[in-house]
Amino acid sequence: MALTLPPGLTPPEVAFLCEMELVTVIPRQRLEGLQLLGGPTVPLIPPHRTPLPLWLALLLKRQNRANIFPPPWLSPSSLDAILQLETSSPEFSDTPPLPRSTTPVSPPFLPSATADAPPDALPYHWLELSTLLLEAASDDIPSADHVRRLLRDLREVRMAKLRAGVEVLEGGREVKMNGVGAMEVSEGRAFIGGVVDGLRKLGAGREISRREREGEEGGLGTGGEGDNEDDMEY
Amino acid sequence: MSYYSISAILTSAQKVPCTFDLPIPNRGFLDDNPGGDIAAHTPLPLPLYLAELLAVQQLDNRPLLTLDLPSSLQPRVLNALKADAKSVDLRGQEVYFFEGAARVLELLEEEEVGDGLCEAFKKRAAEIADHARNARGGTSSGEGGEFLRGLDEWERGLFRAAHDSSKAVRMWMGEVKGAK
Repeated sequence: MALTLPPGLTPPEVAFLCEMELVTVIPRQRLEGLQLLGGPTVPLIPPHRTPLPLWLALLLKRQNRANIFPPPWLSPSSLDAILQLETSSPEFSDTPPLPRSTTPVSPPFLPSATADAPPDALPYHWLELSTLLLEAASDDIPSADHVRRLLRDLREVRMAKLRAGVEVLEGGREVKMNGVGAMEVSEGRAFIGGVVDGLRKLGAGREISRREREGEEGGLGTGGEGDNEDDMEY
Repeated sequence: MSYYSISAILTSAQKVPCTFDLPIPNRGFLDDNPGGDIAAHTPLPLPLYLAELLAVQQLDNRPLLTLDLPSSLQPRVLNALKADAKSVDLRGQEVYFFEGAARVLELLEEEEVGDGLCEAFKKRAAEIADHARNARGGTSSGEGGEFLRGLDEWERGLFRAAHDSSKAVRMWMGEVKGAK
């Protein structure tokens, strides 16, 4: 039989990828640099803030060897501002701007959760990262309960937007999904994919007749475009 | 539409009203008249797999039979869907309502029907998403039970997908809490 896992990543897999994100730690003990497959880590010298991958930071935190410095967006004031933005606009709030340099371009290599991350934007892994941090390092996060409540509200608002997007789907129209986080994609994929697939099947007959009409009217001009649409269906 | 898809097979067993335009000899058994002929212009419900093939056949440049909209796609149902998509019991009409409709619409050029169905599908999908996130337990419990019982097979699939993925996220969050 077919593979029983749904297409796409499951929540634990998304969280696993999220653990590659860099966070800032304030070490309590010295630790030499570790030679890891992903490159050496910075040696830890107690009062200096150091960027470390989340998984290592969580490990050190559990062993009480370091404190985690929460990313600036994980504070009540910035979450409040983002929530205001989310409730007042039908679009998702912006993702953090890309750095000027050319090399790091995708989420695990962007400094979106370190101490110098922009405070006014939710990064790609916001939901997983904040859940993990709130569980393992809630004593490092100022007013953790308030943050937790705001995050829950944010999640509700954004899921409602994803759901509302389904209603405006139509052949030519699109739903703008910029800024949707990894966990939200994982949660919405099966449903949204199913709706789009259903609409495509229901509209298949009309699509063919429309294309035939266009072919008759436009002749060669629209031929190339029609071919492209054909490719898209597979 | 996969060869091995159970839902496609069951959909193709749905009956569609057809009318033979020509007299067909020796096929009376389709019309409860074994051994006899089918007279021209006899209305006859045929399963979709048969009607699909016969509708595209031609004999001397004349179509063999004309398809009609099945009872589940009559204006009565479509108007009800237009008025309030969420209150129609589609399962009562046809277990594979949307899949059957998609198959029929491939054969018939009924733009208005197609538009109406797409619109209804979207509205109901949004409602399904709401129920899937909030539902506790099976499809029978809660105030949305009436609506959820009226879902056709496609929509049940959607409900299950939406419910499973939000459950997976909740489970992951529970695991994070448990690991501490």
